[in-house]
This record gives sequence, C-alpha cells and structure tokens, in this order.
Amino acid sequence: MRTELTMKSPEMKLSKKVEISKLLSYLLLIAIAVIVFLPIIITLFASFKTAIQLGEEFPLKPPALTSLNFETYKTVFTEGKILLGLKNSLILVAVSIVINSLLGAMTAYVLNRFNFRFKKAVFGLFMLGMIIPTLITEIARFPIIHSMQVGDFKVYNTLLAPIIIYAAADLMQIYIYTQFVEKISISLDESAMMDGCSYYGIFWKIIFPLLLPATATLAIIKTVDILNDMYIPYLYMPAANLRTMTTTLMDFSNQRSGSWETLSAAIMIVMLPTLIIFLIFQKYIFSGITAGAVKE
Amino acid sequence: MNSLARQRNIFIISFLFIPMMLLLAFVLYPTIDLFRMSLTSWDGLTTTKEFIGLENFRKILFESPDVWNSLKNNWIYFYVHALFIPLELMVAILLDSKIRGSKIFKSITFLPYIINGVAIAYAFAFFYSPFNGALNEILKSIGMEGLQRNWLGEESVVNYSLVAISLWKYCGFHVILFLAGLQSIPKELIEAAVMDGANAIQKFLHIIVPSITLVIEFILFHNMRGALQVFDIPFVVTGGGPGYASSTFTVYTLTTAFTYNNFGMASAMGVTLLFMIVILSWLQNKIFHFGGKRL
Repeated sequence: MRTELTMKSPEMKLSKKVEISKLLSYLLLIAIAVIVFLPIIITLFASFKTAIQLGEEFPLKPPALTSLNFETYKTVFTEGKILLGLKNSLILVAVSIVINSLLGAMTAYVLNRFNFRFKKAVFGLFMLGMIIPTLITEIARFPIIHSMQVGDFKVYNTLLAPIIIYAAADLMQIYIYTQFVEKISISLDESAMMDGCSYYGIFWKIIFPLLLPATATLAIIKTVDILNDMYIPYLYMPAANLRTMTTTLMDFSNQRSGSWETLSAAIMIVMLPTLIIFLIFQKYIFSGITAGAVKE
Repeated sequence: MNSLARQRNIFIISFLFIPMMLLLAFVLYPTIDLFRMSLTSWDGLTTTKEFIGLENFRKILFESPDVWNSLKNNWIYFYVHALFIPLELMVAILLDSKIRGSKIFKSITFLPYIINGVAIAYAFAFFYSPFNGALNEILKSIGMEGLQRNWLGEESVVNYSLVAISLWKYCGFHVILFLAGLQSIPKELIEAAVMDGANAIQKFLHIIVPSITLVIEFILFHNMRGALQVFDIPFVVTGGGPGYASSTFTVYTLTTAFTYNNFGMASAMGVTLLFMIVILSWLQNKIFHFGGKRL
C-alpha cells in the first residue's frame, strides 16, 4: 500500500504538469483560431444584414436565419458585375498556367541537364531576376508596356499586359521545376537517346509528363497568386470591362463607401475562390510555398 | 557527332530564347532603365528625358521629409513583425508536437496568407470603421469605451491598426516555414537528447535552433525585405492617409510615379530602395554569420 502510493505520486505530479501544459497549448491554438476567423465571421454576418440591422445589432450577433438579406449579394452580381471579374481572372489564370509551366519546365530542364557556354551567365541573370523587387520595377516597366504596339494592337489595357508580366517576372516556377528535374535520373534521357529519340522528343514525351506533380503544384500556387494579385491588373488594365475579381472589389468599394453590408457581401464572394482552392489543395500549397522559400 | 552537337545547340537556344527575352525585356532592362530614369526629370509623358544628374537624389535627401516619414512607418512594420518571430516559432513547435488536431490548427494558422489580400483589407477597414465598426462595438460591450478610437483616422494609431492586419496575414506564413524546418530535423536526434536527459530549454537551444538556422535566416530576410516594401495594406485601406501618416516608402514612391507623373523622382526613390535592400541584406548577413560563429 505504502509503496504503491509513493510510486504513484510523482507520476501523478508529472501527468498533471503535462495536462496543464496541454491545456495552455490548446488555449493558445484556440486563441489563434478566434483571431483568424473573427474578421471573416464579422464580415459574413454583416453581409446578410440590412443597413438598419447593421446599425442596431451587435456585430457578433448572427443574422436571423429566417430573415437573411440576400439583396446584398444580388447587388454584387448585378451592379458589381462580379462574374465579369471572375471571367477575366480565370482567363488570366488559365493562360498564365500554360505559359509559365511550359517556360518554367523548359528553362529548368536546359539549365539542369546541359552544359554550354554562358550557362553561368544565363543562370546568374535568372537569379538576379528573382531577387529584383517587382513593385518598384513597375515604374520603369510601365512605360515599356504602355508603348508596346504591334500594328494597331496596343498591349496596354488588354489582358495580354498582365500575362506578359506574370510570364517574365515570376520566376518561382524555375525553382519548383528544378527540384523535380533533379530527381529524374539522367539514365532515362540517355536510354531514350540510344533509342533514337531527339532532344525535343525526350523533353516532350518523357520529361514533361514526369514533371506533372511540379506542374500541379505550380498551377495551384499560380491560381492563388493571380486571383489575389491587385497592383498589376489595377495598373495595366484600367478599362472597366477588364476588371479582375480583386479590382472589381476595389471599384465596388470606391463607388459605395459606407454601405458596409453590400461591400461585405462582395468581400465574401471575392474570398471564396481561394478559400475553396486552399481547402481542396492544401498539400500542394504547403509543399510549393515551403519549397520555394526554404531553398532560397 | 558534329550534327548531334548542332542539334543540341539548337535545342538549348530554342528552349531558352523566349524565357531569356522576357527576362531581359521586362525585368532586367526595366531595372537598368530605373537607374537611367533616376537621373532625369521625366514626367512619363514627353518623349524627351532631361538629364539632371543627381538632383533627384539631392531632393530626396534634403527636401522630402514625407519620404522619410513614410520610411519610419516601414520601420514600425519591421520591428512589430520581428517581435512576433519568437511567438511564431513557439506556435510551430507546438504544431510539430503530437498534439491532437495539429493538422487542423496548421491549416487555420496558414489560412490568412492564402486569402485575398484586398478582400481582407476591406474586411479590416470595416472592423476598424467608426461607423458600426466591430472593434469599437466590442470595446463598448465589454465596458471599455475609453479605448474607442477612430482606428484609421488618428495619426497616432493608424500605423498600428495597419500593422495588425499585416500580422494577421503574414504570421501564419512564418509559422509554416518554421514548421517545415522543424519537420526536417531527424527525430532520432531529439530522442537521443531526451534520453541523455536534456530538458525542454536545452533541447530548444542546442538542437532545434541550430537545426533551423537556415529557416530563421530566411524569415529574418523575408521580414526585412517585406517591411521595406509594404504596399498593399496601406494602399488599399488608407491610401497612405490621413495626410501621409500611414504612407510607406513604396506607397509614396508609386504615388509619385503614377499619381503625380513624376517618373524621374520616383525612379530615384526606387533606386534608393534597392540600395537600402542590398545594404541591409549585406548587414544582416554579416551580423547573422558573426553570431553564428559564436554559437
């Protein structure tokens, strides 16, 4: 009896200590969750209220389910033209994914597999391009894009302007592809060569298909980046019919400042696409973002 | 063999041509042009660019107090974010432990980084609003009316209101980077230390920190570069106002170019920013590796 007690008590002390530290850990994590969701939930609640309710009710009080105000969302779709914004955003996303994955894979493959004169210089230029801050270079890039003209076609104020910039200035894809190309054995290239496959054949028929996981990671990260991008569409596509989702929201906010219930509805709609992508493709997003970062 | 070598060269050139052209035309040339423009008084419209030497830089240094006041605001972003780095590491260690629900909490922590920045900026503008804004209402409901403020309208608080948005958005990103670093530490290493009787603090100082120095270094660089280039949040939420109270170096620079059409002056500011980034990166590198040797 006695021995059992003395055996037990230090263990109990330890487990109590563990319990308290666990409790504190959960409190911290729950506090983080509350902070993360607070601004989103307040906006969600507000988006279903009327202007009068918004003025009278406590912001954390959920809107009554029986009298949800959908007028706000209707306004965003009709007057806010959010679907046009979605369409433009999706065009930018689709075209950029194709261009960036092709160019990224091609560059990474050549730089990883071949030795040639000026390779070091080429490599160095890409590295330099990666560390140049993008926002500040817009001052000098803007006049160039602004004056670009092919025949009667002006690049400025068309969807082509951001597409060119995304293709040229976003070099993260070279990192992602290089990591995957490194993992593909060179013996694969060599045996295909023996079989009489051309360099182009090796790349298109063997390497590029094997790079599919990298392409998937890149596609998802690009989608999030482009959907969230603000300044490039804002600067290069001022035309009303070329608004992306994000610039539509800015426009909408300027037109109806103070009408928080409709603006809240617009905010919720604009948040939705990236939220959904995050919920479905988390794994790719985590691996892509940490790969790019930790490597630097 | 000769024809194979030719094929090979054609292949290399054909694959690199477009990426190289894009890089040269839209990234490297503009960067060089930035330097050239910084020596002119170009207004962005006329075809002539009058060479004025270092006049723009002289004006920045001696006649533009608003630029330097804006830069002070960048400093606020820098130090507040830096203060949060230990907490970010702590959360990462917590998420790395075998705590139940760590996966869900990992997702929640990272969520703000993925959300549309403009949308969340407006959500916070609403949160801070003096009219029906949630923050003032919540303060009132818990009897702290004395703390109510015009969070985006008062010069003394506006920057901290904006920095809070920045923390909300970027802390999770750092946590995930720390977590990736932690997960790359071999488990045997930690187990061996525990077997040898290392306590939590010893484990932290002698195993965890040395194993993730690369990640720590990256996050410090990211924080410094990010703080020097803060743009989206002040641009969308306050436009730099009231007055220039919440302006940052980049907001001021881009406004100079695209609102006031003073491309020469804006370029000079851009060049100044590039120099600041280079010098601070170099300095941080020196400090970090000096500290690293001593450890």
